[in-house]
Parts: sequence; C-alpha cells; structure tokens
Amino acid sequence: MIKKLLSSDFLKIKRKGFWFLTFLGPFGVVALQMVNYGVRKDYLLQQSDNDWDYYLLNVSTFTPLALVLGIVILTSFMASLENETNAWKQLISLPVSKMSVYLSKFTVLAFLLLISSFILMLFTLAYGVFLDLGEEISYFELFKFSFYPYFAGLPILALQLWIATVSQNQGIPITIGILGVIFTYSAFILPDWMIWKWPSLINEWNEPIINVLLGIGVGCLLYIVGMFDFTRRDVK
Amino acid sequence: MLSILQAEWYKLRKSKILFIIFVGPLIGLFLGLTSNLSIDVAINEWYLSLFSMNLTYALLFLPLITGILASIICRYEHQAGGWKQLLALPVTRGKVFIAKYVILMLIVLAIQLLYLGAVYVVGMIKGITDPFPLEIVWKSIFGGWVATFPLVALQLWMSILFKSFAAPFTVNVIFTLPSILAVNSERFGPYYPWAQPFSMMYIGGNTDDIFFVPWDQLLTVVGGSFVLFFLGGYLYFQRKSV
Amino acid sequence: MEYVVKTKGLTKNFGKEKPVTGLDMKIPKGEVYGFLGPNGAGKTTTIRMLLGLMKPTTGTIHIFQKDLRKERVNILKRVGSLVENPSYYPHLTAYENLEALRKILGVPKKKIYEVLEIVRLSDVANKKVKGFSLGMKQRLGIAASLLNNPELLILDEPTNGLDPSGIIEIRQLIKRLPAEYGMTILISSHLLSEIDQMATTVGIVTNGKMIFQDSIEVMRMLSQQKISLKVNNSEQAWRSLLAKGIKADYKDDTVLLSEHSNKKIAEAVRTLVQDGFSIYRVEEEKRSLEDIFLQMTRGGKEG
Ligand SMILES: Nc1ncnc2c1ncn2[C@@H]1O[C@H](COP(=O)(O)OP(=O)(O)OP(=O)(O)O)[C@@H](O)[C@H]1O
Ligand SMILES: [Mg+2]
Repeated sequence: MIKKLLSSDFLKIKRKGFWFLTFLGPFGVVALQMVNYGVRKDYLLQQSDNDWDYYLLNVSTFTPLALVLGIVILTSFMASLENETNAWKQLISLPVSKMSVYLSKFTVLAFLLLISSFILMLFTLAYGVFLDLGEEISYFELFKFSFYPYFAGLPILALQLWIATVSQNQGIPITIGILGVIFTYSAFILPDWMIWKWPSLINEWNEPIINVLLGIGVGCLLYIVGMFDFTRRDVK
Repeated sequence: MLSILQAEWYKLRKSKILFIIFVGPLIGLFLGLTSNLSIDVAINEWYLSLFSMNLTYALLFLPLITGILASIICRYEHQAGGWKQLLALPVTRGKVFIAKYVILMLIVLAIQLLYLGAVYVVGMIKGITDPFPLEIVWKSIFGGWVATFPLVALQLWMSILFKSFAAPFTVNVIFTLPSILAVNSERFGPYYPWAQPFSMMYIGGNTDDIFFVPWDQLLTVVGGSFVLFFLGGYLYFQRKSV
Repeated sequence: MEYVVKTKGLTKNFGKEKPVTGLDMKIPKGEVYGFLGPNGAGKTTTIRMLLGLMKPTTGTIHIFQKDLRKERVNILKRVGSLVENPSYYPHLTAYENLEALRKILGVPKKKIYEVLEIVRLSDVANKKVKGFSLGMKQRLGIAASLLNNPELLILDEPTNGLDPSGIIEIRQLIKRLPAEYGMTILISSHLLSEIDQMATTVGIVTNGKMIFQDSIEVMRMLSQQKISLKVNNSEQAWRSLLAKGIKADYKDDTVLLSEHSNKKIAEAVRTLVQDGFSIYRVEEEKRSLEDIFLQMTRGGKEG
C-alpha cells in the first residue's frame, strides 16, 4: 500500500517546485560561501591553519537555517497540495489507511531533504576543490556537516508536517516555522533540550552524534504523535 | 475607502491574526531574556539589551513575518473564488490594493510597538536602572517600520500572485537569508533592501540624522525599492484575471 | 433483503450542532437510492460518515454487510465516490489526476481512457485541470469515482454545475450502471425532480432525521390524485355527504373526496344530485412530488 501511495505522491509533486527547492536549498548555502569567499578570500584563508575545516565551518553556519526553512516550506507546500481543492477527502476515500497516507507524505519529504543533504555535500566538495584549499580534504567532516543536521532536524520535520496537515490556515505552521528559524539562528544560547538547537550540532558535550541520535529518536516520537492526531481527526 | 479598510480588517480578525501579531513581542522577550551580552565599558545598559535583541529581530523576524501577514490578508480571496466576489463589488482594484497595503503597514506598526513593550519588559525583568533612551528607541522602532515599506509591498504582490502561503514565503526567504551576509559587508549592506530593517534598527549607527541611516540611502534604497515593488504589485493586480 | 448500505442510529454532533441524528439508512442491492433533503439537512455529513471521512458520534455503519469501523479499507476497495465539490490537483492534467488515483487503486491504465471517454473528457485529457470549467471539473470527479469499477457508487450532488446535456448524460449513465454492472448507487440531491428521473428508492432527510424511506412507487402513491367537487353550496354538500357516510373534506369552498375509486365517486355525485345540489365541476387534483417533498420536510422542521 505504501509503495502505491509513494508513487502517487511523487506524481503529485510534479511541476510544483519541490525538486527545484530541493536543489535550491543546498545551492543557496554554498552560493553564500561563494559570495563570502569571492569577496574576501584572502582574509578568510588567514583565519585558520586548516582551510578545509574552516571552510566547512563557514558552510555549516547556514546549513541549519536552510534546513529548517526548507522543512517549513516543503511541509506547507505538501499540505497546500491537498488543501487547495480539499483533495484530502478524495484521498482518504480511497482504500488506504490514514496512517499510510501520513507515512507517505513524511517519506516523500524526508527523501527530498535527504537528496538536498547529498547535493549539499557535492556542492560543498566541488566549491572547496575549486577554491583550492589544499590536499587534505576531511571527508568525514564533509559527511558530518552535510548529513548530521538532516538527522538532527527530523523532529522539526515531524512537528511541522503535523502542524501543516492539521491547519486549515497555513499562516499558522509558517509562523511557527519562523519561530523555529529564530530559535535555530539563536542555537548557541538555547538549552540543549530544544529541538531547534539540534541541527546546529551544538551540545554541551561537544558530541554532534548525540544530536543525530536524539534527532532520530525524538523524530520518530513526534512523527507517531502527529500521525495519530492526523488519523483521529475528521476529514473536512 | 474607509469601508474597504473596515471590510479588510473585519476579514483579518477571523484569521488568527492576533496570534501572529503577538509572536513579535514573544520573540522579543525570548531574545532579550536569553541574551547575556556584557562588556566592561560603562554604557547605558539599555543599549546592550537593545543591541542583542535587535540583531535577530530585525535581521530575520521582521522581514519574514511581513510575508505571512501579506499572505493572510489575501487568504480569503484565494479561497473559492474570493477575488471574483471582492472585485464584483463596487470598488476599484487600486483601492483594494491600497487598503490591503495600509492595513498591513498598520499591523507592522503594531508589532513594532509591541516589540517596544517587550524591550521595556525585558529591561524591567533584568532590573536595568539606567534612564530609558527614549529618543534612540523611537528611532529604532520607527526606522524598522519604515524599512519594511518595500518588503511589505513585494510580499503583497507575491501573495496576490501565488495561491499558497509557501510560495511567497519562499521568495521572502530567498531574499532575506543573504542579508545575514550583507550586513557584514560595508559595500553591499547599504544597498540591499532586505538588510535595511537591520540597518535602521541598529542603534550603533549614525545618530545625527532622523534615522540610523543617512537620508540619501533611505531615499534611494528604501524609497526606490518601495516604488518599484509597490508599482509592480499595483500594476500586476490591475491586470490580474480573476 | 440484502442491503449494501445499512446504518443504525447514525448520529453526528459538532459540539452543539447535531446535523445527523439517529439516521437509519437501508440501501438494497442494485438500487439507485435517491438521498433527498433541503440545504443543510445532513446529506453530505451522512455521506462523509459512510466513507469513513468522519467518525459517527454514535451509531453503526455496515457496507456490504461489513462493519465500516473494522474493515474500512476492504470496503472502500469496492466503493467509488464524489463528495461535494470535486477535488483535483490543478497543476496536473486530467490524465495525471486520474493516474495519481489509479496508482493507489492499482487498476490497469486503460481504465483511465475508459472513464475519460464515459464523461467525454478524452479531448482535454492532457490539459491542466486549472483551466477547466466547473462542469468539466465535475465530470473529472465523476470519472475518478468510476475508476475502480465500484460496486457501490456514492455521488453527492453529481449534476452540480453541469449543463443540460451534461445532466442528461450523467442521468443516463446513472440509470445504465446498475443494469450493466450491477452497481448500487447512492445519489444525493435537493432537487426532487432530478431524483424522480433516476431513483428507484428514495430516502428523505431533514434536520438530520430520515422522514421517509421507501421505493419511488410508494412515494408516487402519496402523490396520487384527490377528487375535488365544486358545488353551489359546498359546506352543506360536505355535511350531507358525511351524513350519508361518505368520507370527504371541506376546504376553500370545495369538497374533497378522499376515496378515488370510480364507484365511490359516482356514488357521491349521485347523492349530491339527489339532494338537489348543482355540481359545477368534478376535478382530479394531482399533487406533485415537489409538493409532497415540501410538505414532508416542512413537517420535519415543525416536529
Ligand atoms: N465540520 C462541521 N462543523 C460544524 N458544523 C458542520 C460541519 N459540517 C457540517 N456542519 C453542519 O451540519 C449541517 C448539515 O450539513 P451538510 O453539509 O451535511 O448538509 P447537506 O444536506 O449536505 O446540505 P446541502 O444540500 O447544502 O449540500 C449544516 O447545518 C452544517 O452547518
Ligand atoms: Mg451537501
């Protein structure tokens, strides 16, 4: 059942800019560094001994913001797709369980964001090589800065998808999304338990992997809560 | 004109707008209470508080929230043929556009004033005893408001153009994010419209003028982009087929 | 009898509002069931519950003799539906819209062309639905409901927005389906004349209550003629009929005979003539279904 729903959902997101956004997010993050390094490369190269690590650090300052914004935008787009002509009622009248409908939406978005993370890694690597930052490419750091924020951000995806699917007025999920963006931007002063801090990979133990594990765990939890609330509600 | 304004406001009241208006001061409180910026120089403590609050507020929150407000004010019209209904009434499109714009600017002003309240509350909670720098705060609050004129115009345009909330928000995000870099640059910062709320609210700026940015910058960048976006939206709306 | 749809005490509350209360619906197999009621009567709410879009506050629903609560997915495999305004994805073409549903239903692709042909949208199959007229969207919705060869077809005001030829086409289609495919059809409307031309069974709902549910023939019986007599002195004529033991009513200066067999009428006329009344007219008064419907639904409101 889930396979059928997925192929239907991938058909529905055609021509709606989902794929474009999936590409735009990582491109934007690296493009900002193109501007940054383009304008003051010499200055930036003086800032550290390991130019690759410093470059990755620079890239990664925008990754959490782009990720959270991407989540807010994609979840809202996904909900609008069904809300616009109230297609939920048509979809739920098909022989599918509401749980699998929700799972399919989540899976599509999680997949698109994963692609984004992968593209981010490619772009980061490509521009890094172009900048000629030295021989020692820290592949593990590259992987870490590209994929860890994604896993750490899963709870935000689960939360935003939940709010977006149950809101008639998409102003609500987007406003809450903006709150989340502000939190993410202020990550360094947030307490460790707030989910918006996690994509920045900061924590008091200095162990990014904790954020990844927390992200997957709490992401599952929030996903389940959202899914049950979705199935419980009447379809308008 | 007054009746259009009233009608627009009436529709808005039913759109959870209060929730959105109050997010502004809440963000202010959050930013103010979590900041622990301190320096050893003897300086009015209000400045420190304002400094840390304004950064995120003006850089990200204010530009982003204008987009939501603009989408909300077009929400009824995008649902089930609302544009047809509205424009079939004896009103001109121009007036509808202006009424929506005016209401939006009033709401942004309200958010700025509530933010001012939040600044004050933060100071009280932190027990700041220095005199309240009223003049500078007013400059900052009104400056930030003036800087949103073009941003609101563009967002209103985008909100009329797109049905969904997410699309105008995407446009907004694409323009707003680079201002994080732009404000660091002396060359680009002054010319980037989305960085203007920050510049206008930045209390360290030039204090001789009415606002924290020089008049010519205000007129060319804010004024120029305002004219561009407002006319763009206005003309687009004139020709939009509903 | 085998009921395809059977609800018991179906009730839905939205807070204080009670759009459906204690509704018992029975739809026999192979019937076209006309679900009638004025605006806001609770038709759409009932249909939403039948499709599992809303959970009933109380009451049970059995479709194909299965409990909807327990076997929703299995039941819906055999149901096609169109609820209120048609849903569609404006940025997709008509074909793609149906393909998005077909992928889930798992029917062969040729079925898409088939249903598009049925609703006469083949020519615009590759146009985006964004530009469709209201009637075309409605047709697309009907096409979507036929995609899975349903045994039970639920259509909520399907002729909404269709032009006269569209209405006739759909009407003929609905009449054809039970005979050709053994489908059972539930069709809602607030227009009795429309139901009258298609339905074999009728359920009338008002204020959330079922006030009539039987075959269309029974409904037509109710509309049967009354005989009215115009006489020079109606009131006295009425009294003299009653005195002779002939059932009659007196209203608006006419005498109305409740019995309408030829024999009884002849008897009444003879009696009046013998008593010296001048009879001006003997007329058959036919009540339209429309009248009955109005009367019934009005009665429901008062009650
Ligand atoms: N989600 C809801 N919340 C509150 N009230 C509702 C809701 N849905 C329907 N109602 C109310 O239930 C009543 C019945 O509505 P319903 O849509 O079932 O009527 P209907 O018979 O389909 O009417 P129509 O012929 O106009 O389509 C109405 O008074 C409506 O206001
Ligand atoms: Mg209805």
